[in-house]
Amino acid sequence: MQFFLGKRTFLIVLFGALLLMPSLANEYHIFIANLVMLYIILALGLNMLIGFAGQLAFANAAMYGIGAYGAGLLMKHFAWPYWAAAPGGMLIAMAAGTLLALPALRMSGIYLALTTLAFAQFVWWLMTHWTSVTFGAGGFIPPPIDFSPIPVTQEIGIYYLTWVAAILLYLAAKNTMASSIGRAFVAIRDGEVAAESLGINLLRYKALAFAISGFYAGTAGALYGGMLGFVGPESFDLLQMILHKAAVVIGGLGSIIGSVIGGVLLTVSVEITKELKWSIEMAFGALLMLFVLFQPTGLVTFIKRWVPGWREHLQYLPEREAQRSIDVEASVEDVGITSTDESAQERRP
Amino acid sequence: MSIALKAQSVSIAFGGVAALQDVSVDFPEREIIGIIGPNGAGKTALLNVICGMTPPDEGEIFLHDVSLSGMKPSDVASLGLRRTFQSSQLFPGMSVLENMMCGLHLMGSTKLFGAVFRSQAMKDEEAEMRRRAMEALNFVGFKHFADRPGSALSFGQQRIIEIARTLIYEPKVVLLDEPAVGLSVTRVAELETLLRRIRDERGVTLIMIEHVIRLVMGVSDRIVVLNSGQKIAEGQPAEVRNDPMVIEAYLGHQAANE
Amino acid sequence: MEMFSYLMATGISTGALYALVALGLVVVYKATSVVNFAHGEMFMLGGFLAFTFHVMLGWQYMVSLVLAVVGSFVLGIGVDRVAFRPLMQRQTLVSVLLCMVGLSFFLKGLARHLWGGKGDYLTFPPLVSPEPMQFGGIMIMSQQLVVLVACGIVMAVFMVFFKLTRAGRFMQATADNPKAARLVGLRVDRVYMMTFGVGAAVAGAAGVLMAPLTLLYPDMGFMLFIKGFAAAVLGGLTSIPGALLGGFLIGIIEQMAAGYIHTGLQEVAAFIIIMVVMIFRPTGLLGGSRRRKV
Repeated sequence: MQFFLGKRTFLIVLFGALLLMPSLANEYHIFIANLVMLYIILALGLNMLIGFAGQLAFANAAMYGIGAYGAGLLMKHFAWPYWAAAPGGMLIAMAAGTLLALPALRMSGIYLALTTLAFAQFVWWLMTHWTSVTFGAGGFIPPPIDFSPIPVTQEIGIYYLTWVAAILLYLAAKNTMASSIGRAFVAIRDGEVAAESLGINLLRYKALAFAISGFYAGTAGALYGGMLGFVGPESFDLLQMILHKAAVVIGGLGSIIGSVIGGVLLTVSVEITKELKWSIEMAFGALLMLFVLFQPTGLVTFIKRWVPGWREHLQYLPEREAQRSIDVEASVEDVGITSTDESAQERRP
Repeated sequence: MSIALKAQSVSIAFGGVAALQDVSVDFPEREIIGIIGPNGAGKTALLNVICGMTPPDEGEIFLHDVSLSGMKPSDVASLGLRRTFQSSQLFPGMSVLENMMCGLHLMGSTKLFGAVFRSQAMKDEEAEMRRRAMEALNFVGFKHFADRPGSALSFGQQRIIEIARTLIYEPKVVLLDEPAVGLSVTRVAELETLLRRIRDERGVTLIMIEHVIRLVMGVSDRIVVLNSGQKIAEGQPAEVRNDPMVIEAYLGHQAANE
Repeated sequence: MEMFSYLMATGISTGALYALVALGLVVVYKATSVVNFAHGEMFMLGGFLAFTFHVMLGWQYMVSLVLAVVGSFVLGIGVDRVAFRPLMQRQTLVSVLLCMVGLSFFLKGLARHLWGGKGDYLTFPPLVSPEPMQFGGIMIMSQQLVVLVACGIVMAVFMVFFKLTRAGRFMQATADNPKAARLVGLRVDRVYMMTFGVGAAVAGAAGVLMAPLTLLYPDMGFMLFIKGFAAAVLGGLTSIPGALLGGFLIGIIEQMAAGYIHTGLQEVAAFIIIMVVMIFRPTGLLGGSRRRKV
């Protein structure tokens, strides 16, 4: 019984279905399925950063865009073939992501959120205004991608490439979070001071978390550019950022399999919303709020409660952190006299 | 008698207020040293300086003759110095066992590659960490909590686990910030025994801030007294207890608060 | 000289608006340690409400202004009850922020839905004739002058409220030390509600004042939020005078950069300022030291 309902079965069925899609479905469905895989990748990367490592960053859509632009521009300006340009885009996105680790060391919470947001807006501005390089608001069409000697069209080739990438990146995420790296991330999220005193180097692990999310988003971006055959700024705006966040929250913060679920559900929900002609902003704004208010640990929590075979490492979300963060560092001793407070005061301006 | 940790002429001020003024203390190896003093004396400030959280304005810390100046807390930890905090710092987002495994973080040497590809080396290391963590849990009698979330334990239990976590990877010096807070009387007695065992069996130097005078007097090999950022007394518990300056510091402080 | 004075005048008048938005943000932040991500939408909806009352229903400008501000106040309370209060105790800071982000998008979508029928960009009639006035060699649009004065009045009213009324002093006390405030018997959750309301009202007022200067569109909320945040951060997120100073500075810097360096910079100046300040001087110009949580 456990086998049939468990995580593994779900994944086999999902990826099996995705594998068979191109031979069974029409162009539109293939497009959606491709998007599903991309959002799985995006949700995995973002979850490792905000769900596991607790770094509230708002730059994922920008990394996604940097991946797409990086790959596309390397092909367009320098005539690189896709198999070189795509990793190029991925690496550039990873590097940009890692840069954000530097402010992450100095600030957290809302400060970090808004600094990364400012960065993302800046990147978006570059995409729309640096016309000489990025071709501005209208975007550009990168050269077509040739998969020879494999006899597939660009569309199908990218589809299967994405399929392989999604599986590999899922496994990588699962393994990494099940290791001491995953524990270090959660330690940083739950109590970075204590984590540091146990020997966890904050810079190293925060940089790693940012690098990983940049890498995942960049990969998704490079694949997205290939899928659409077009790269333009409108795909990487603030709304996109909210969709990524929604995917992570709906699936489950801090859960790898949750990100898979979130990626699937998000893509499907977006399409349904479009079909029904509802406002995406209202729908996903409301959805994000509802989940945060009523089920912040995501749908995966329901599943874990009722269905056997879905256990994961590091699966408890902190509930009491509110006491530490929002309650203005207060503890019983704190109404003026505490020594902890005094000494900790000047650690960071 | 060799010195495990030496604080030399440490001074630090926050916003114009001197938290520590020219404080020098030698902490000998394999001893339990208690740090006491009225509120605001600078005890936690001293701990924060020692472990690298707040660099001092002046002075230096030496761990077995190695200067710790400029080091981050994670570097200091890798040299064998650990600490606990006043409020519980057990990570609620992971199980008790995983919390303990965090204490073994410095034991790990596998890099990202090993983690991503689940190399045999990494699997072996994980198994070893798991084994040692279970053993430590067993040592403090909490084996049955292994898979429960960190938040499932009572405050007192969490503090015990936290101490166990600092001890798990062969520390040389452990700083304890008010370890008895939140512990019932029986637990305090257990703590006393535990601290002695740690000192004797593991050869760890324990430096402890504590307000529970009975515990401090009972278990410390020596006591350091701070008041208003300065060291006013140092010595055996009996000496310190009868030192007039110490008495005045506590009484005087009390009088001032009345 | 003329260009300079024109840029300066525009910078100061838009700066005054940013200052108001920043003021609202800082007041809420000081009290609750939360930056209201939906703050920009308070601003935007203030403007839209004024539009509804003044343009769609044809009511008097002053009446519309007051009603719009009241409406924003109510909205602010709504934000507190929906997004802040339920999460304050139970959840992490991450959740509160995400919830507010969701709310901000929901409100933006709502505005687009409710008013979108009239076209995405709405015009608000100017308050005074759009002729420029001259003071010596300095040129200023009378519209801008009106806005500047109005902003000044709103700031003054706010200061009076904050420093002199009981409610305002409660807000201050709670902002300084919520635990102590609770111990002393202040109904902290009521104060929080009030704080959100006041913060939103100030933003809404700014929105109404901005309405005649420029077009109204649903995305303006986010723009003003970012600029308001840039102003608040520049001034020091815990400092009210800092927020005001920051607002003016941002307004001026934007105009100067756009005028003298590159027009495109106007949009992006605020982002760059946020990044620069955060990296080099996170406490801003006037903010105090921040505590590290242990």
